[in-house]
Amino acid sequence: MVDKDVVDQSNLNRQILHSQADIGKKKVASAEEKLTALNPDIHVNIIDTTIDESNAARLVGGADGIVDAMDNYPTRYLLNDIALEKKIPLFHGAIRGFYGQATTIIPGKTACLRCVFPCAPPKEVFPVIGATPGVIGTIQANEVIRYLLGNGDLLANRLLIWDGMCSRTEEIAVARNPRCPACGNETSGKDTRKEGA
Amino acid sequence: MTAKIRFFARFRELLGTDIVIDVNGKKSLPDLVKGIAARNREGYDAIFDEKGAFREFVILMQNGRRIDTSDAGTTPVADGDEIAVFPPVAGG
Repeated sequence: MVDKDVVDQSNLNRQILHSQADIGKKKVASAEEKLTALNPDIHVNIIDTTIDESNAARLVGGADGIVDAMDNYPTRYLLNDIALEKKIPLFHGAIRGFYGQATTIIPGKTACLRCVFPCAPPKEVFPVIGATPGVIGTIQANEVIRYLLGNGDLLANRLLIWDGMCSRTEEIAVARNPRCPACGNETSGKDTRKEGA
Repeated sequence: MTAKIRFFARFRELLGTDIVIDVNGKKSLPDLVKGIAARNREGYDAIFDEKGAFREFVILMQNGRRIDTSDAGTTPVADGDEIAVFPPVAGG
């Protein structure tokens, strides 16, 4: 788990590993404490740092996959690049208010994050209804489990959209873009796409 | 001749969804979506920039097929089209 933040009261509606008593603590420390209390048989490797271009590949290391728990696209795109480089899946999820989305990126087989979202939405302080990341996070966790088991159909080339205002899920079919700056075989060189307003 | 416009997420909040619109007189995708978005200033501004083009981050689908926003201006519309307009969300 990689996170630079400390627990804030505004996190508590959705970041269920933390409680009121953890406000001000390092998130990775609080998370490790709760996870190992749930299951003492696991080992949680915590890293208190910001993910950036200088360390992302090293932080991912030999992991079997990357679970996207980010709140911004620049870092998501960086993780996408690392996933492509290491040929490991990226389990993408994102939310805003009552809405969420999820898809599973398998390098070489599916659209990558850049294929699906070539341009990031404008930066903003996004609203969060706690239940929404609960839904999307559970979907991502379900994807990870099934990927590891090799069972079922992943959200591969499928962008799942959750509408919490009417409790409906819909899907948009996505596909690899042969001219994708990240994974396309019709381009070369560094990606120069804008990161959004 | 009609088409159906489906909005998602924030766009749905502002403009609704599953809106059937008359295609007659509308030559391209932007024309079609503007026909709905023009009803709500905030909704219009969320989707279109100052020049009236789709904002780059907007995801467009026409009958299940992805349309690049840079191609939208020259993409014709036809009777029975289903257009999806979707903003990616960023929070976590």
